[in-house]
Amino acid sequence: MGNKQTIFTQAQLDAYQDCTFFTRKEILRLFDRYRDLAPQLVPLDYTDKPAVTLPYELIGSMPELKDNPFRQRIAEVFSENGDGNMTLDDFLDMFSVLSEMAPRDLKAYYAFKIYDFNNDDYICKSDLEKTVNKLTRNELTPEEVNLVCDKVIYEADVDNDGKLSLEDFQHMIIRAPDFLSTFHIRI
Amino acid sequence: ERRGAMQPPAMQPPAASPGPAAPAGAELLRWQWREVQAPCLVAAWILVASLAKIVFHLSRKVTSIVPESCLLILLGLGLGGIVLAVAKKAEYQLEPNMFFLFLLPPIVLDSGYFMPSRLFFDNIGAILTYAVVGTLWNSFTTGAALWGLHQAGLMDPGIEAGLMDFLLFGSLISAVDPVAVLAVFEEVHVNETLFIIVFGESLLNDAVTVVLYKVFNSFVELGPAHIHATDYMKGVASFFLVSLGGTAVGLFFAFLLALITRFTKRVRIIEPLFVFLLAYVAYLAAEMVSLSSILAVTFCGICCKKYVEANISQKSRTTVKYTMKTLASSSETIIFMFLGISAVDTSKWAWDTALVLGTLFFILLFRAVGVVLQTCVLNRFRLIPLDRIDQVVMSYGGLRGAVAFALVILLDRAKVKAKDYFVATTIVVVFFTVIVQGLTIKPLVTWLKVKRSDHHKPTLNEELHEHAFDHILAAVEDIVGHHGYHYWRDKWEQFDKKYLSQLLMRKSAYRLRDEIWDVYYKLNIRDAISFVDQGGHVLSAAKLALPSMPSRTSMSESSVTNLLRESGSGACLDLQVIDTVRSRRDKEDAAMHHVLRGSLYKPRRRYKASYSRHFISPDKQERQDKEIFRQNMKRRLETFKSTKHNVCSSKSKARLKEKGRKKAIPLPSQKNISVTSDAPNGKTHRNVPWQEAAPVLVMVSSEEEESDSSETEREDDEGIVFIARATDEVLQGKTTPEQELGKIPLTVSLSAPPGSLDVCPSPCIIPPSPTLAEKELPWKGDQADLAVYVSSETTKIVPVDMQKAWNQSISSLESIASPPGIESGPQHRRFACPVLEEQPQPANQAMSEQSSCFQFPSHISKSGRSQSDSSPDGAELQELQPLMATEEQGRMVPTTEPRWLMFNRASNL
Repeated sequence: MGNKQTIFTQAQLDAYQDCTFFTRKEILRLFDRYRDLAPQLVPLDYTDKPAVTLPYELIGSMPELKDNPFRQRIAEVFSENGDGNMTLDDFLDMFSVLSEMAPRDLKAYYAFKIYDFNNDDYICKSDLEKTVNKLTRNELTPEEVNLVCDKVIYEADVDNDGKLSLEDFQHMIIRAPDFLSTFHIRI
Repeated sequence: ERRGAMQPPAMQPPAASPGPAAPAGAELLRWQWREVQAPCLVAAWILVASLAKIVFHLSRKVTSIVPESCLLILLGLGLGGIVLAVAKKAEYQLEPNMFFLFLLPPIVLDSGYFMPSRLFFDNIGAILTYAVVGTLWNSFTTGAALWGLHQAGLMDPGIEAGLMDFLLFGSLISAVDPVAVLAVFEEVHVNETLFIIVFGESLLNDAVTVVLYKVFNSFVELGPAHIHATDYMKGVASFFLVSLGGTAVGLFFAFLLALITRFTKRVRIIEPLFVFLLAYVAYLAAEMVSLSSILAVTFCGICCKKYVEANISQKSRTTVKYTMKTLASSSETIIFMFLGISAVDTSKWAWDTALVLGTLFFILLFRAVGVVLQTCVLNRFRLIPLDRIDQVVMSYGGLRGAVAFALVILLDRAKVKAKDYFVATTIVVVFFTVIVQGLTIKPLVTWLKVKRSDHHKPTLNEELHEHAFDHILAAVEDIVGHHGYHYWRDKWEQFDKKYLSQLLMRKSAYRLRDEIWDVYYKLNIRDAISFVDQGGHVLSAAKLALPSMPSRTSMSESSVTNLLRESGSGACLDLQVIDTVRSRRDKEDAAMHHVLRGSLYKPRRRYKASYSRHFISPDKQERQDKEIFRQNMKRRLETFKSTKHNVCSSKSKARLKEKGRKKAIPLPSQKNISVTSDAPNGKTHRNVPWQEAAPVLVMVSSEEEESDSSETEREDDEGIVFIARATDEVLQGKTTPEQELGKIPLTVSLSAPPGSLDVCPSPCIIPPSPTLAEKELPWKGDQADLAVYVSSETTKIVPVDMQKAWNQSISSLESIASPPGIESGPQHRRFACPVLEEQPQPANQAMSEQSSCFQFPSHISKSGRSQSDSSPDGAELQELQPLMATEEQGRMVPTTEPRWLMFNRASNL
């Protein structure tokens, strides 16, 4: 894919290294991946910081993803302005969070954000209902979903406010030690 | 008895009696030992082994220190010694044929079938590496090192063995044995990952062992001079053939098995048979073509389980589970015992200290080295690396067992000259690993502080997030086009969902097989069972509602379902089935309900006549029952509080108290918890059953012949009516913020039922008679037109019908009250059920309305309004609970009950 310097300036690479948990090599590899998504959109030269974003349609229409219930949510959470369009920075962020180097709290925070569909910083029942419906592909009746959500909230709601705050979520995750250890992707 | 024994010989033709010396007359008795000898011996051995197990477990101390396998081997040694002393020769042996054809399959099937498949496939890379590379490494290094020892002249020169012999020996001695590993590790409780790696390795290395053993055996037979390069290639090829072929056979039979169980709906009774039969046939088929039979059965078990479990009935599932465990356990017992017995037979021994010590040393050394080397490589790819302690346990846990022994017995003495030496060495190695390592691994694990498996309860959260994470990770992998583990699992799951499950599962099972719901269901059942266990015998159904969570509400239903099912009450009397989800499918149950309904009506009517005479006595009876019930409940609540939900209830109570009305957010669960905690001072029983009946009555009330059943229910277990009302209000408090105006008064009226008439401003209630039913109505009313209908009717018919209903209810109580306690729970259910299933359509409608109403608040709550709005009610309700409890107690029975009944009656008309 060519020389490193033609893609990023040294300063850019350093910045990326500082902002993510990746080495220079991994950043370049991720850039290749990013570019593979849309070779016609992404230029090979990133030195002048082109404002390239991959539209969500491109990500959402990938054939591998068509059955994935969380595709839109992931794109939304990790894209900077929440519309699902991804810049290279977003892309790197996503992997940075899922890398093994990322601390557990960061992972928990992003996992929490993925669940928090209405972005009110709480996982409330409607969020959970959405999650459950997505996971079960709408095979449960509303009644069942309701029961499951109640139970989930009951299990994890430490401060008894009827919805799960980030603290509740983290507390729950600490209780299950192996929990986030699987929330990794190896590049 | 004697006569019975006589008959068979008497009926036999005289020709059957051997020899001409037999007298002409018919024999009375004949000694037929020869005919029954073989099965009799088998039975006797199994009996001895099982009895021995009982004896071992008499002392907990012994079994906690010494693994059972050790004890069994020692027992076998003892028994073998006795036999040897008596018969002067060792009669009984662990015959390789018997071992491979009968004893091994159950154990492997058991382990395959109950293998945690997710864990297994998560670690498949490590397992395969250890199984293939590790076993190869162990075989070659051990064999070569022993050969080196031999060459160096350290061994008895009488051992005639070349390199090939030693490699052969190495191949059979180096394989970790599934039976031994399972026996020891089951008692050690190391963490799941460690267990699955060691155990999975022991299962999957069978292919390697089989191939190596066969290849070397044929090499030995051929003689070193005749081995060509192509033979080595054949060896490599046969490894792939044996392992993949074995797996394929297993998969094929798993497919077949799943497909067959799909069609067993009418012959439930033979479902378990298919499981065992096909798995065994898979084993035999693989053995027949000399593929890896262990792999075949393992994969058959792993792969078929999901579909089979979904297809077969609950009873069959239990049967399969128990039979499999029984078979595996007895096989294991016999194997270890016979290992001990076989060791006594000194005629097959030829001792060589150097060989024995060398083998022991080398297998330990090379196992450790192999594990360390492989882990180094594996840790580069593993998400959770295996640390040093894991490696120690893995290398130390490499136990050898009966497979090695059976293989060494199978050697041909003519070809393998040093067989006797090998047998002796193998026995020593097996004994050493099982006894010494088995004994010490537990202290070692404790000493090294190996992460144990923690049996924390599986929570719904975990299940939910695990699923979600899987999808999320798969999505991210997809986005980058990185085809990693999650990608493939996701693809597999989609394939499974789209094709395999469709093909292999019943339609009904397919629909119901949703894991999240399953977990929820299981949790509920477990909770319910624990409550029942805690709580003695009175009114199990009501007890189930104890936890007072909205979620538990359904728990009580579903668990009751299960309890009823498991207690063997033939019909499925379960409310859950009918009122929420699965209503459409239980046709037989519906029929049963009809039958029950028909038969249960009569006694009530019959008692009706006598009712007027004993007007007071039933009342007394009722009060007595109530008293008993209340005390029971109180006690239970106290224990309950002090144990399980202590933290929760006290916390929420404290919080709510301190926060008062300002901040308390009335999650129904909270309210209920606090109610529960208030219970001991007041009328707990009222609070308790609310939860339970809520879904029942809410749904029921729209139906026509409800009156009878609910009366019965009501009388039978007087708490239930309150339930309906209370839960509704609780639900309402939570769910319909828009109804705020109507709700507060309702809450008030709840807490002081008889006097609440004037307080109740809900538009659809007719003011003069705020019966329980009506209190429930206002809010049924705004979902459906039911309220209007009922209320108008009620006004008309009240006076007449009240009497009637009261009579009926009393008589029904009488009929039921005679066996108080446990029976009452199921029984009132029985009454309730026919109604529910009678008209599933309306019930469903009501339910869907209900559910729409459930969902509503969550949208509202987004706006943040609900928090401030609804909280006062919650607090109020909560504070009023104890008040109500004391107030209500006296008045409740006479005043509200008839009204309730009347209502039902009214709707009936």
